[in-house]
Amino acid sequence: MKETTKKKRSRRHIGKILILAVLLLVIGIIGFSCVQGLTPVGWSGGVVSDNTLYVGTKEGRLVAVNLADGSRQWAAQLTASGGGGGLFGCMPAGGGCSGGSSGVAIYGTPTFGNELVYIAGYNGRVYAYAKETLATRWVYPRDYYLAPIVGSAVVSDGRVYLGGSDGYIYALDAETGDPLWNSPAADEKGKTEKIWSTPAVSDGTLYIGSTNKNVYAINTADGTRKWVFPTEGSVTATPLVVDSTVYIGSQDRYLYALNAADGTLKWKKMGENWFWAKPVIYEGKIYAGCLDGKVYVLDAATGNELITPFNPEGPLAADPVIYEDNVIFCTREGKLYSIDTAQDVLNWDVTLDEQGKVQVNGPLAINDGIVYIHTQDLTLRRVNAETGAILGTISLSSGE
Amino acid sequence: MNPWELIIQQPLINVLIVIASFFGGNFGVSIIVLTIFINLAMLPLTLSQIRSSKKMMDLQPRLAELQKKYAKDKQKLAQEQMALYKETGIKPAGCLLTFIIQLPVWIALYQSIMLTMAIAPEGLLNLSSYLYHWEIVFTALPLSRSFLGLNLGEPNFILAIFVGITQWVQQKMAQTPSSDPKQSQQNQLMLWMFPMMFTLISISFPAGLPLYWVTNSIIRIIMQYRLSGWGGLSRKPREDTGGKDKKYVDLISSAERKSTDDVGADIVITDQQQPPSKSRYLPGKDRERHRRKR
Repeated sequence: MKETTKKKRSRRHIGKILILAVLLLVIGIIGFSCVQGLTPVGWSGGVVSDNTLYVGTKEGRLVAVNLADGSRQWAAQLTASGGGGGLFGCMPAGGGCSGGSSGVAIYGTPTFGNELVYIAGYNGRVYAYAKETLATRWVYPRDYYLAPIVGSAVVSDGRVYLGGSDGYIYALDAETGDPLWNSPAADEKGKTEKIWSTPAVSDGTLYIGSTNKNVYAINTADGTRKWVFPTEGSVTATPLVVDSTVYIGSQDRYLYALNAADGTLKWKKMGENWFWAKPVIYEGKIYAGCLDGKVYVLDAATGNELITPFNPEGPLAADPVIYEDNVIFCTREGKLYSIDTAQDVLNWDVTLDEQGKVQVNGPLAINDGIVYIHTQDLTLRRVNAETGAILGTISLSSGE
Repeated sequence: MNPWELIIQQPLINVLIVIASFFGGNFGVSIIVLTIFINLAMLPLTLSQIRSSKKMMDLQPRLAELQKKYAKDKQKLAQEQMALYKETGIKPAGCLLTFIIQLPVWIALYQSIMLTMAIAPEGLLNLSSYLYHWEIVFTALPLSRSFLGLNLGEPNFILAIFVGITQWVQQKMAQTPSSDPKQSQQNQLMLWMFPMMFTLISISFPAGLPLYWVTNSIIRIIMQYRLSGWGGLSRKPREDTGGKDKKYVDLISSAERKSTDDVGADIVITDQQQPPSKSRYLPGKDRERHRRKR
């Protein structure tokens, strides 16, 4: 009897140890798996030309979507710069864990000029495709890769401008892809940091932010520096240049208004988190979405808050669009808000996915009263800009 | 934000950034300092774990004797081993339990380091949702990933090798010797498998993670050394002992030669603090004496 009790006890003890060991293993596997946000996925927005929407996908392809019939055309897949990925797919340039991209990530929104459409990849290359056929026209650089490119390329006066993670600003010939000049966005110690901002070009000057906390104004003719404005945080937002004023958000939580001519401060407005998205201006009012989940409505001249901020209850990373007299924002969780600018009231709001499985980080696009949203599940979603009605989706997967 | 992120990750991320801001925004220093702080906070648990391991190490000769004695009766062996653990106040599951309590903290630190490093643009965007509304946090970003010539945002082969070496040393120091060949084999496998596994992972991950592992291992090595010396690292393998530990080898051999079926078999005391000596172990009597003492 005593023996049996002892046996039972020892078995129970061994059982406990086994349970603990299994628990340990499970916790370890879950805990030490990849952390979200480690693998680049991309968040390219769409751009519309001749009723065709161009967008970069997380498969590393440029897709042309015919908006009339929904037919799609894919360009050749971008090639990875090598390295990266790592044994467990947890380094850039690879797929793998945490929903990482299966191809080269594309963060920049395509842009077009003449007969070409341009896109910059996280592999450190800029590509030009024929708009009609999506055949590759040129690649820069041809024989090597630059540091990853996160911002979009912009086209102005027959030139393509972009900033790279090596801290340099590049100007290329839009027709041939030949390099014209490059300029380091260095701080006072001569140190460059990543440039993830998309440049804005106006009146022969390029404006761009850097993660070295500065905003730069560069002569587009030769790449020489006009002025530099220091902020207290990284500047990854895209500047908005209107009426000789540069509006740009910084990660020090301020939205800055600078004189385009000399870079002096006009005003600054503080939010509760980063101003990541590009603001929009409509009839003298600035509408700035912030990662604190609010839309600030400011007087463009003074920066004064005109009304209590809208609260879409979700961080705003996507650049908004203007439709007639409405400004349309989208939260990272895929909730769209239309603000009637005439009365500054909420027009409509709609959630793209009730289960909250979509994520929107890239700029919104608008064409013929329809808002196009590229969500990170390889889908292009459509919403009626007038009513907020969800109009269905278009898959961007090349396998479908 | 889920409770795990709110209670564990968010504070750790903000502390990492604040520490970095005091060291010129250097993320490498911040990782080292926070790892030291967390080790200090977990000191009582770590010490109890090391002490348990040491006790276990000291108990090995008696366990070996039991294994010889009850080689043919596994159940009886298990009962006797449990009785011995009870007698000496060792809880075999205790070590594991302590480790389980510590594990979430290490996982949280690992996750916080990876999140703060914000390797991909999505990582930076995600990081914004973890920040407290402190000015120091916003102005400290982005943290400098340059540390002692290393780029903490990219994998580093040398640091990965260093992870393997420090983990091997730490494990070797903590390893409990076993007279059971199977157990010995398992120990040997673990001794090589874990450091190799962590080295491979380190080659794949940004160097910030291996830096944390190396720091952690070095702290553990120091603690282990302060508490129980070089442990397994100072014990020489039996075949290499030459003449120095001859007595030890002889005693084991003689113990092996003797029949262990009778109560009162010989055992060998191999505690390194005392010179090896032969004593008569009377399982029933000794246990009784121990109980009476208590």
